[in-house]
Amino acid sequence: MVSGRFLARRFGHGVVVVWAIVTVVFLLRYSTPGSVVTTIAPLDASPQLKAQIARELSLHEPLHVQYATYLGDLLRLDLGHSYVNNTSVRQLLASRLPQTLDLAIAATIVAIVIAIPLGVVSATRRHTPTDYAATSFSLVGISTPNFWLGLVLVLVFSVGMGWFPVSGPARANGEVISAIDVLYAPQLAGRWLTHLALPAVTLGTYFTALLTRLTRSGVVEELDQSYVRTLRSSGLPPVVIRYQHVLRNALVPVVTVLGLQLGTLIGGAVITERVFAWHGLGSLLIDAINDRDWMVVQGCLIVIGVGFVVINAVVDGIYTRLDPEVSME
Amino acid sequence: MMFTPRTRRALRRTLRRQLLPKLGVVLFGLLVVGALCAPLLAPHDPTTQQLDEKLRPPIGFSGQTEQTSSQLVDGEVKTVTETTTISATWTHPLGTDALGRDMLSRVLYGARTSLLVGLLGTTVAAIIGVPTGLIAGYYGGRIDDALMRSGDVMLAFPSLVLAVALVGLFGTATVRIPDPWVVLGITPAMPAHVVLPGTVVLVVGLVNWVWLARIARGEAMGLANAPYVLAARSVGASDRFILRRHVLPNALTPILVLATIQVATIILLESALAFLGFTGTTLSWGFDVSQGRDLLSTAWWVTTIPGFAIVFAVFAVNLIGDWFRDALDPGIDADGGGGP
Repeated sequence: MVSGRFLARRFGHGVVVVWAIVTVVFLLRYSTPGSVVTTIAPLDASPQLKAQIARELSLHEPLHVQYATYLGDLLRLDLGHSYVNNTSVRQLLASRLPQTLDLAIAATIVAIVIAIPLGVVSATRRHTPTDYAATSFSLVGISTPNFWLGLVLVLVFSVGMGWFPVSGPARANGEVISAIDVLYAPQLAGRWLTHLALPAVTLGTYFTALLTRLTRSGVVEELDQSYVRTLRSSGLPPVVIRYQHVLRNALVPVVTVLGLQLGTLIGGAVITERVFAWHGLGSLLIDAINDRDWMVVQGCLIVIGVGFVVINAVVDGIYTRLDPEVSME
Repeated sequence: MMFTPRTRRALRRTLRRQLLPKLGVVLFGLLVVGALCAPLLAPHDPTTQQLDEKLRPPIGFSGQTEQTSSQLVDGEVKTVTETTTISATWTHPLGTDALGRDMLSRVLYGARTSLLVGLLGTTVAAIIGVPTGLIAGYYGGRIDDALMRSGDVMLAFPSLVLAVALVGLFGTATVRIPDPWVVLGITPAMPAHVVLPGTVVLVVGLVNWVWLARIARGEAMGLANAPYVLAARSVGASDRFILRRHVLPNALTPILVLATIQVATIILLESALAFLGFTGTTLSWGFDVSQGRDLLSTAWWVTTIPGFAIVFAVFAVNLIGDWFRDALDPGIDADGGGGP
């Protein structure tokens, strides 16, 4: 079982990476030519506002004091103030996060539900038409830019068939609704799903393709192992061998790569949100860059970076459950 | 050549036996020829606007445009909507966009941007990643920890997110390279320059080096105690010499396989950045897809055609990558490197 020492080490490692992430984000504001105030302040900021920003972030102090102020603010979960939108960055991020989570989780579900059976079937029927079809699908899938796929899906299913709304999140009484709202008001589920469907498929396709390829190569490798032959000769039904023994072992490398590729999913979400005018973190980030709203950009980078570390820690937990050898160290 | 005779034999054998590598070679060849010879092949200047030719559909389709104009009817100003049907012509085989620019010419010229950014971006990633990985793996211990932890931090930011933030900070500088065909006087100056999005090349390299560093590190770790490395060290060869003469050449195959996959990844990344309008060049497939967004219901081809071009290019490079991987079997998982 997972030992306490292992968990403690994993946690310590996570803390160090989180610290490094926030430090990199802090240093980014000094990487541009010109003064820090011009990077952080909006383009049309008045001298008074610039002075106020410099005061709030201790920009006139030496670097280590600025850094201490920055870390102190972060520890109090204060992500600063958006000088363009004139609200706190934390509030802005909190209002957008549920939409991005909806999208990312839905896409992951799409990917897992399609990719794992497809990868297993493709591997067990190697060099048959089924395998070729699955392989070609996954190869085209990882070659397709998701912003274009999204537009094509809109063209076919929204403009052409009229099955789904063209873009935008589901709303009720003018408010954007997410999974949490649906839990409280199940009658909204239908509307929520029709709005979520195309973006989720758009974001999920690349991931589905990737996962299919990984599952296939993992299962192919496992099927050649001698224990599979032993199980077969003992008369176990092929379905049990495939899904209980082979898949379980094949998933170990799949899960690791999957954790690393979560960044791809979040990056894809940024673009997908842009295509579908989705009300999430990705749209917020792009808008903030266009508006030169550095505090919001910084907040997005921190939330995404830290989110990545947390999710990877969870993935590692799953990993240790799948492969008992890992926790033995 | 960077491949040993044995790997070359393995590559040839896989190419002969399997269908997909053959397809990959053909498609990639077409892509390279299209990009190199764009001025010879393109029927029009890809940047010339001909408003009276706008929104022509590709051959085999017909398009419709709605034009609203104000007219004086019975002493009153009224808005009149006229729908005209536009037919395809062979002058513009793939049709034209909203400004009357020839789509075929734009697709051919767009291949230059994609390929250049893909290849140069991968080169930048390799220049940073390979030495870092080799040093980390060869020395091990603290150096390894420090270098690879910094890599972990890079991985925490999705490459697209980091790229977008960096481009936002540094702006979009471009480099204008004179078009050799025009310089030599073989073709008239269509666009006289190839506009290379310089910041984007650096940024995509900067956000993708970690994948190459990881592979290089793994190889160097295995090679650090190889007999010939130990032998070289025992006769007093410097680490620098050993890394360059013994470790790098033996680690090259898996690095090249991953680098090929990286080219595909970076082409996708460039197209995404161009779609968002963050590259500083407008002669790019991703940018063209974004131009057609508002025309989805009237002129589907403006988004669809450049998108097909992206899929074509990335698919071709991925086929080549799969071919290298299958032939050389460097133990890289199907997808070792980030995505858009």
